Amino acid sequence: MAGRLTSLLGFGRDEPIGPLDYGRRWWMRLIVGLTFVFLYAPIVVLIAYSFNDSRRNIVWVRFTTDWYVKAIHDQSLLVAFGNSLTIAIINTLLSTVLGTLTALLLWRFRFPLRPVYEGAIALPIVIPEICMGVAMMAFFAWIGWPNDLPWPISLSNIVIAHVAFSFPFVAVIIRARLAGFNRELEDAAKDLGATEWRTLLDIIVPYLKPALVAGALISFTLSLDDFVITFFTAGPDTITLPVKIFSMVRFSVTPEVNAASTVLVVITVVTTVLALRLQNAGQKAGSSG
Amino acid sequence: MRRHHPGRLLMEALSRRRFMTGAAAVGVSFAALPKGVLAAEEPKLNFYNWDTYIGETTLADFKEATGIEVSMSLFADNAELFARFKEGNPGFDVIVPTNDYAERMIKAGILEELDHSKIPNMKNLAPAFQDAAFDPGRKHTMPYMWGTMGLGYRKSKVDGVPGSWKAVLESDKYKGRIALLSEGRTMLGMAAKYLGYSLNTGKAEEIKAAEELLIKQKPNIKVFAQDNGQDLLLSGEVDITVEWNGDILQVMAEDDDLSYVVPQEGSLLWQDTLCIPKGAPHPDNAHKFINYILDAKAGAAIADFIQYATPNAAARKLLGPDYNNNPAIFPTDETIARCEPQTYQGEAVQRLYEEAWTRVQAA
Amino acid sequence: MENWRKHPLVFWAFSLPPSFWLVFFFLVPLTLVWGYSFSEKRGIIGTELTFTLDNYLRALEPIYLEILWKSLGMAAAATAICLVVGYPVAFAIAFASERLKPWLLLLVILPFWINILIRTYALIAVFRTRGYANFAYEDLWNAANWVLNTVGLGQLQLIGERFEPMALLYNNAAVVAGIVYAFFPFMVLPLYANIEKLDRSFMEASLDLGAGHWRTFFSVVFPLTWHGALSGIVIVFIPALGAFFIPELLGGTDSQMIGNVIERQFKSANDWPFGAALSFLLMYATFFALALRALVAGRKGGGALDA
Repeated sequence: MAGRLTSLLGFGRDEPIGPLDYGRRWWMRLIVGLTFVFLYAPIVVLIAYSFNDSRRNIVWVRFTTDWYVKAIHDQSLLVAFGNSLTIAIINTLLSTVLGTLTALLLWRFRFPLRPVYEGAIALPIVIPEICMGVAMMAFFAWIGWPNDLPWPISLSNIVIAHVAFSFPFVAVIIRARLAGFNRELEDAAKDLGATEWRTLLDIIVPYLKPALVAGALISFTLSLDDFVITFFTAGPDTITLPVKIFSMVRFSVTPEVNAASTVLVVITVVTTVLALRLQNAGQKAGSSG
Repeated sequence: MRRHHPGRLLMEALSRRRFMTGAAAVGVSFAALPKGVLAAEEPKLNFYNWDTYIGETTLADFKEATGIEVSMSLFADNAELFARFKEGNPGFDVIVPTNDYAERMIKAGILEELDHSKIPNMKNLAPAFQDAAFDPGRKHTMPYMWGTMGLGYRKSKVDGVPGSWKAVLESDKYKGRIALLSEGRTMLGMAAKYLGYSLNTGKAEEIKAAEELLIKQKPNIKVFAQDNGQDLLLSGEVDITVEWNGDILQVMAEDDDLSYVVPQEGSLLWQDTLCIPKGAPHPDNAHKFINYILDAKAGAAIADFIQYATPNAAARKLLGPDYNNNPAIFPTDETIARCEPQTYQGEAVQRLYEEAWTRVQAA
Repeated sequence: MENWRKHPLVFWAFSLPPSFWLVFFFLVPLTLVWGYSFSEKRGIIGTELTFTLDNYLRALEPIYLEILWKSLGMAAAATAICLVVGYPVAFAIAFASERLKPWLLLLVILPFWINILIRTYALIAVFRTRGYANFAYEDLWNAANWVLNTVGLGQLQLIGERFEPMALLYNNAAVVAGIVYAFFPFMVLPLYANIEKLDRSFMEASLDLGAGHWRTFFSVVFPLTWHGALSGIVIVFIPALGAFFIPELLGGTDSQMIGNVIERQFKSANDWPFGAALSFLLMYATFFALALRALVAGRKGGGALDA
């Protein structure tokens, strides 16, 4: 990782800097470097304190791994973690699809009440979280949503709420990318006899890929981090990680939570490394074959 | 820890079970309960509690004694708890609101009436806790823990004992080193108390005076802390903070330089209560659980672990002088006499406080 | 843009799923709260729909407008910082090699998979008076002081007599920093998605023709990636307006934002009608702004977000 970073920042290469080689200009490196310091300094502190033998993240006492043992044995923390991950994954799939459809719809078609639609689709972004949480709570109470469903169906009301507020975010991102799309490509494909479906799959989706990745990442993050709306929709058996964490901090964040977060970071990095390795291997096999 | 116990508790549980079936047979006022609850209430209980507010093994011991599996969820503040129950019970059996919110919930009709015959351990409570002004006859609530609000401070940085609210409310002596609590109703109540009014005043002009006092003091205050004043104190960010006694007690255990005092003008007395919200899926188990917590040994184990003042006289007898004579846990009778509980004054007064607090923060 | 009648099947395939979700799982619940904003409180938990406008009139009182104004300022400052810092970072990702790109994306998003509250507390640990930022500053100060003393300038006390820690927390700047820390990827990701498609030959042409990097940025890059910036601004600025626990944890005694006031109405104030009215004022403003834009843009053949 460190090696990659330095090569990204351009150290250890002596070729002249090309005009568009922004990654190797010192001011660019400085801004990007400082940004990452700002983003990661708290994370480093957080990880360090997960090894601290004190109930509070304030004074360094001595090294211990007890918090990890505790976190791993904390059944409710693991359950909450599992719930959060399940909800976030389903939410990401659903809201990426719905958000993409919305963006395509608004980009391609002229239809009655379109301005109203444009305004309405932005409301989930504007609505204060607590207002949405209360709305969802009132809604599920009103339709008499049962709170004793078996897992994972018991998570469905949280997923419903999460998708409702995150797919418009995806729509906004995809919309921006579509704005520059050259529609002649699409027309050309159709002239050559491609169906709507094939055009979507072969022309539009590949073009949208970076925006799809960005949208999926954002909806995943929104869901994984949401406390307020989840709080108002969760029942006794559907606690998520943020709900658990927010209720634990009355007596400040304990290193146990830090330990759990560190584990989460490590799992994410390892999973991504494996996924990228697999993808690279697949590409190499594909290109050589 | 409580291995020697289950026999007796099991017997108790069994005899109550027999009583319950009998009661059901003659049909005593259980019509509102869901069908089948009495015949076979599944051995489960959903407990909604504050964090780090139960004994280390209490839930496991309870399961051993009764076979009932407790699933504990946590909430962070009363207002949140109250909001969560406004549109109906999301599925909890036992909740732990503080007295003013318990009162609000009783008046809102959110709480189930308790069946005292299923809580024989009520006899363990000290006489002062057998009844409560906010819940006459203890019809809806059982006391869980109680305490005071006061000043946590760093001895080496503060001049003597800050025995008056003046130190934080009307003085620039500790300018920039003061944290107040970010709870409008409570903080304005404290200011009113300092001005010589009741902390439950409903008079607009007294609330206004409290508001003006806080606005005038604002330049000296570093932060309105989000119930994390103890952290700010421990990390040296502030040297004096308004906090709940239990929070300060926890950091006192980590830093000898910290201390706690209830100012001479008096302060707030609080009491957290065990209640059963209406629509609880397992009301019978909930009664068993409340009764279990009021048991002498179980109560002693909880109090010993969380270091809050227990209203359970029988439990106190089992604990040593370290606990019973700790002034930060049990204030003297004289101090208690100067304190008053925060009461619920109705929605109109609540709104006066909220608007005053918005103005304090905006000023 | 084409008329929906030309391809009705495609139109319905695109519009039905999101519209269903939007209507049943958002607008219907929203209507319940909308009703509150025209209701009066009855007792402790009751409300009665009386079609009163009192809640809105109260929301328009100067004190709430002042708080709103202040929140707009803080959200705007945070959004501006995100934009200025986000562009270079998005550039770095978009112009990185294919192998590095996923790593950089991961590096940007990874901190945001740690709970926001834990991150905010970690931020406090770094920036408090006795935090690591101040420790580093103190070391620097001591080093500078040593150098000054060694070269004989110690008497002048150029950097002050004693080390004074910086007050980095519990003020409005800390709240802005906290918001940036909470929403940064919301700016970087849409920017990246748009910079990535940028045709580099335009930039090369601009540079070849003698324009400097700044000029190239403002006359070539920015106009071509403006949609990404706009969507970034929308999804950073608007949610930032409603921030509540960031000002609570990082703010000073006057850092209250409109999100805090709204949150209190739904919680301790127990005044849902007023909380709903405050929330809906924000929503009306955005709804009409976007609908109006779409209307205007629609006449010209674009949409609200493809200005």
